[in-house]
Amino acid sequence: MTKKLIAIALFASMALSLTACGNKAESTPTAENNSVAETTAPAADADSEPAADTSAEAADAEVKSEAGNEAPSPDSEAGFTEIPIFEDIEAGFLNVSAVYFQPVPMSGGNESIEGFDMHLEADVSALENKLGFGVGDWVPYMTVDYKVIASSGDTAAEGSFMVMSASDGPHYGANISLPEADTYTLEFTFHSPEENGYLLHIDSETGPGGTFDDYFADGNLTVTYEGWEYIPQEW
Amino acid sequence: MLKYFVDTTEALLSAALLAGMLYFYISSGFGRKGKIFAVIGLLGGIAGAGTVAYLKNGTKLLTSSKWNEIVLILFFIALGALILFWIFSALRKPLKQVSEWAACLLLCIIMLIGITYALPDVLVYPYSILLVEKSMLSTTFIFKFIGIVFGVILVFLAGLSAGKGLIRLPSGQKMLVLSLALGLSGIRQSTMCLRIMLTKKMIANHKLFGDFSLFKIAQFSSNHDNWFIFGMIFITAVIPVLIWLKSRHVDEPYRTPAEKRKILKKWLINKRWAGVVWACLVLSLLNLTELKAIANRKVELSPVEDAPVVNGNVEVSFEQVEDGHLHRFAYTTENNVAIRFIVIKKPNSSSYGIGLDACDICGETGYYEKDGQVVCNLCDVVMNINTIGFKGGCNPIVIPYSIENGKILVPVDGLSEFEKEFK
Repeated sequence: MTKKLIAIALFASMALSLTACGNKAESTPTAENNSVAETTAPAADADSEPAADTSAEAADAEVKSEAGNEAPSPDSEAGFTEIPIFEDIEAGFLNVSAVYFQPVPMSGGNESIEGFDMHLEADVSALENKLGFGVGDWVPYMTVDYKVIASSGDTAAEGSFMVMSASDGPHYGANISLPEADTYTLEFTFHSPEENGYLLHIDSETGPGGTFDDYFADGNLTVTYEGWEYIPQEW
Repeated sequence: MLKYFVDTTEALLSAALLAGMLYFYISSGFGRKGKIFAVIGLLGGIAGAGTVAYLKNGTKLLTSSKWNEIVLILFFIALGALILFWIFSALRKPLKQVSEWAACLLLCIIMLIGITYALPDVLVYPYSILLVEKSMLSTTFIFKFIGIVFGVILVFLAGLSAGKGLIRLPSGQKMLVLSLALGLSGIRQSTMCLRIMLTKKMIANHKLFGDFSLFKIAQFSSNHDNWFIFGMIFITAVIPVLIWLKSRHVDEPYRTPAEKRKILKKWLINKRWAGVVWACLVLSLLNLTELKAIANRKVELSPVEDAPVVNGNVEVSFEQVEDGHLHRFAYTTENNVAIRFIVIKKPNSSSYGIGLDACDICGETGYYEKDGQVVCNLCDVVMNINTIGFKGGCNPIVIPYSIENGKILVPVDGLSEFEKEFK
């Protein structure tokens, strides 16, 4: 009798746990809370919209094993999850997505992650363009400024991204401190690669056919995303 | 050191208080099996935390995403255990044997999970510090490590005294305090799970009424997470109050003077444990309020030094900066914006590190000198003095300058271009 009761109690405990765990089904959410995403790019497609798929799983970045010179085996692969803020907003010749994940140590004196709440990242790839970038290529040499504005209108964080590579490739990003949960507005400003000395061939035989003025004549390209409902995470 | 003392206390205090209460509740209330379960819960939790810390930081097997999922699973197991514990506690009389085994097992599970969840963050502090310091023998590492050790000692004593105090209460009061602590911990973990599920889009942001939504609950709980810690301190503080109240009306019967002395001695010890609880809680409160404010206080930058503007250049003489320390100068524009720049003579060199008192990443927050090192005032990144004047990372923004006749000449035009950096 006693043994039976213990068995029933254990079974009930496990059943309760497993039932509750079942609630975390990996559903793809609706984007009902994603508010207006706008670009102020002069040459941008004004009708561009953010993709609605904000599933964290959709942004899983594959991470290969880095153990010395050992070849990565399928078993040794793992993934880190990027939490999407917005995806695929177009500005000029740029396709822009924003993600964040845990603060990460970086080389060059940036090893400390003390005091940071996240690693914010702008994933920038080229759209159809006349600058010689293949569609989908990462666009280098840009200065990318970020600004996080709280619901009160105060600036919660701002600065310029650094350029770096992770296991999923190169990107613009920075560790930032954002300890307060709030509904934020996120702004990215993209400067022309020309400002950092990136050149284009301009002869008709070898040049890509365009100039940076085709996209930056009226100033920098800007992406603004409103309605980012952010809550600090347990990493 | 102070920062790690505060951070360690903040990370562990709630879990330590609860674990202390659970450990002594189990080990004192259920005979030999209780003692065994208490040790299993404690050691299992520490082993679990060590495993999690290693897997998260030493391997790629446990990503933050997987850890979030594990946290959710652990929470629901603990919640199930808690509900069953309450059920079995209610059935203690009719089902004495079963209830005792079940209560031991369930409380052991809750304790194990609580320690496994809370401890890994602190276990990896030394690893995080080493990423920057590179050596365990560096003074900075040692001081920070001492801060962690002090924090661990404080929360250990707090947990120990809370548990020792709890078991000195009558069974009804004991159960009440423990249930309050378990309930508060359950609510805190529920809000944390809500945050994970909202961020990972496992659940939609349902509107409950008006503009009040699940996100608002998550936002409030996240921005006021310290309230839960203060709540746990408050619940624990009830223990010494109850002991003190009871000690004022000791009416235990005795037959001989020896028995009377024994009773008085027992209550003296009880009151001492109550005092230890109070001392630990007061110290913890001080830690989480005053010391935290001091630890997070921003360093005040050294004042701007005089440097004349001659022929469109800010002139800094070598004599002003040859001591090898960080010096700060400024040029005030027509718009009354002071554009600051720093100069430091590089170690074992005759050259100077010159740059704006701002960087691309952290803006105009500035740099300060500490123990011969130049540190960013916002992100605490220590600069390599030899690379000041070069572009990149958290280095000072590079500015044009020239050297003539024993003076560093920084053109005003070049500085004015950075006016927007100093809003």
